[in-house]
Amino acid sequence: MHRLKSSLLVLVVAAVCLGQAPNPLANPRVRRLGDQLMCLCGCGATITGCNMLGCSHSKPAREKLLAMVNAGMSDSAILDSFVQEHGVEILAKPPAQGFNLLGYVVPFIGIAAGLAFVWLVIKRFRKPLAVAGGPEIDDAAFASYQAQIEKDLEKLDR
Amino acid sequence: MENLGALAVLLAFCLAVFAILAGFVGGWKRNAFLAHAAGRAVYSVWILLTVAASVLVYSLITGDYRFAYVAEHSNRAMPLMYKFASWWGGQEGSLLFWSWLLSCYSAVVVFTNRRRHRSMMPYVIGTLMMTQCFFLIMNSFVASPFKMLAVGRTIQAVADGNGLNPLLQYPAMAIHPPMLYLGYVGFVVPFAFAIGSLITRQPGDEWIYTTRRWALVTWLFQSTGILLGAGWAYAVLGWGGYWAWDPVENASFLPWLSATAFLHSVMMQEKKGMMKVWNMVLVSGTFFLCIFGTFLTRSGVVSSVHAFAQSSIGPWFVGFLAIMVAGTLYLILDRLDYLKTESRLESVISRESSFMFNNLILVAACFSILWGTLFPVISEWATGEKISVGKPFFNRINIPIFLFLLFLTGVGPLFAWRRTSLESLRRNFQWPLVAGLVLVAGLIAAGMRAPFALTAFGLCLFVAWTIVAEFYKGARAISAKTGGNLLAGAYELTRRNQRRYGGYIVHMGIVVMFVGFAGSAFNLDSTVEVNKGDAFSIGHYQLRVMDLTSGDNDNYAWNRAAIDVNKDGAPLGVFYPERRFYKSGERQATSEVAIRRRLNEDLYLNFAGMSDDNQRAVIQAYVNPLVSWIWIGYYVLLFGTLACLVPSKVRLQYARTQVLGVKKKAYAPAEK
Repeated sequence: MHRLKSSLLVLVVAAVCLGQAPNPLANPRVRRLGDQLMCLCGCGATITGCNMLGCSHSKPAREKLLAMVNAGMSDSAILDSFVQEHGVEILAKPPAQGFNLLGYVVPFIGIAAGLAFVWLVIKRFRKPLAVAGGPEIDDAAFASYQAQIEKDLEKLDR
Repeated sequence: MENLGALAVLLAFCLAVFAILAGFVGGWKRNAFLAHAAGRAVYSVWILLTVAASVLVYSLITGDYRFAYVAEHSNRAMPLMYKFASWWGGQEGSLLFWSWLLSCYSAVVVFTNRRRHRSMMPYVIGTLMMTQCFFLIMNSFVASPFKMLAVGRTIQAVADGNGLNPLLQYPAMAIHPPMLYLGYVGFVVPFAFAIGSLITRQPGDEWIYTTRRWALVTWLFQSTGILLGAGWAYAVLGWGGYWAWDPVENASFLPWLSATAFLHSVMMQEKKGMMKVWNMVLVSGTFFLCIFGTFLTRSGVVSSVHAFAQSSIGPWFVGFLAIMVAGTLYLILDRLDYLKTESRLESVISRESSFMFNNLILVAACFSILWGTLFPVISEWATGEKISVGKPFFNRINIPIFLFLLFLTGVGPLFAWRRTSLESLRRNFQWPLVAGLVLVAGLIAAGMRAPFALTAFGLCLFVAWTIVAEFYKGARAISAKTGGNLLAGAYELTRRNQRRYGGYIVHMGIVVMFVGFAGSAFNLDSTVEVNKGDAFSIGHYQLRVMDLTSGDNDNYAWNRAAIDVNKDGAPLGVFYPERRFYKSGERQATSEVAIRRRLNEDLYLNFAGMSDDNQRAVIQAYVNPLVSWIWIGYYVLLFGTLACLVPSKVRLQYARTQVLGVKKKAYAPAEK
């Protein structure tokens, strides 16, 4: 079955190359899949995004993509085929498994740790300061001071 | 002439070493003579580096192709502006540009503080000159821009140079690198003051007050540099986008994020005497990220289309970074007693807490981008397998983080200092929240389904509403008092507290930019191969190729298409996307895209090249909704930052709301 698929693929690729090939990027599925694959020419763009003239990587890759799309292959089969040929480096985002899972989770672990840290800081800073031995004042005076403080703070820049 | 530049750089290096020694010893021994001499050495370094820079620029402009740098990065056909821009177009020249800018900043710092901070300034000078010294080592011994071309022992000139990279021959690109460098280099100044403050065990926040404007101006340069870079990518690279999460783009964004966090948290130190250690960490982190960014661009550690040629200067940068990080860490840990907080939080629901969360998210965004940028290197080191981390990865991780940051931009100003009552929260949140939700519901009803774009639009309205409400409340109170109109009230309000209301305008700029970013969820694109007379369409636009022409001049050859554009049948005119092939160097191709810019969407046409049989033109057409709002947002941000820099009409005194030794008398029933 695998050999049959491969032979079919070779036939389709050959047919596409020999004929007057339409621009692969005119096919929306090629564009979408090409956006999930990196161009390895060093431009840093995806296969869809690379606009280097006559790029040695993105141009044949687009043609291959079109051939595979026309052959009726599924998205995952097409991506797997590219990974088999070029390694996971071809994927625009690494698969979220094994060591590469760290790539996805570490930023959020960092945020969680940061949140925990901020929470601890807030808890620590909320502890009231030890009150120094100042003059004792009665309720009425305390209330009037507090009212004055509130009034003054209202006027201050929020 | 051929030795003058190199000699000036070498002398500047010697004087920078002297300034370090004179600064630190003068500060330590309280020797006014040495401290004064360190300041004079800074001026001398500036003069010498100006001479060196002048030699290089003169050689570039006059085409002195005996210099290897001039032969590599300039040629006769280039316009004068780009000959000048070649100064920072290559590795060696850009390092000299770094050094020269730092010498300018250092001279300004020494001059403006010549009668202030007498105990701290020698150390500030020492720190500035340590950085200067590092870059002068690069200029003198590792990557000199004054190397001569020679055959045997005879200096020889080539007939013409290779010319500046064609992609850089674009007006915005002539300004973009200097802006970024002004940002990168400028962050050295707040860092130097922070180190000076740590060494001298300053009890107060003097370094904060002194460097506040420096940090803001530098931040503005960095913002301008980043936006110019985005504008350049949009107009020159021809892929229809403005940000690709390229490692070098990320390198410029990282210090911007940490500096933004610093500009917020510094208010906590000014107003409440809190987050002192954190501010030291942020200002140092920003400086390290600037050096790291410079390292990333030049070392070849990560592959980037923007990077300079791979060279051997990476280990030097790593060494310098390691020394600076270790020294700073030691100083912070050793001086923790001087960095104790002066206040306590009174409530979790307060402006103080919102600042902490804002800082957390900004730093998290910074970390996640740094992590994504370095992850291919880390992964290859750990597993031996190469991976790519492209735009889809960064978008997946960072879009939620930045949306949360946008939410905090709206929430923060609604919280009061000290504590916020639930009633006040309800009052302040009610209408912005309702408006945001109604907008989202309306957009869903209209058929919009992109979840991140919906969230972004809802949040944009929420934040914009809170900002407008803040202005409206204050302006109404002032106009009621003065009898003027609301506009005059808003102006008066801003004049009374430039930093606060200028800051709100900056926030509004960010909101406007987010509107532009969210528009990318609805981009359309199409690639076609066409002949003269062919027609195609994209979105509401109908396009017909009127003509395909080609030609050449001294600098480049070109292919051009004339495309007649109609929108829903209405004529919009003829557009001329062009492809250029520069004759010098590697015959690199560049795009001169044709863009019809409107507030609702851009029509973007790129002449991508000719078909395989060289008979048809390959045209890429993009419809990019709302992109113009990104550039408009920048101008709002620029205006807001400038407003922050103007001194307020009223000098505000911020009270430290600390409870000071007053004890309430124990309760006793009142006697009759």
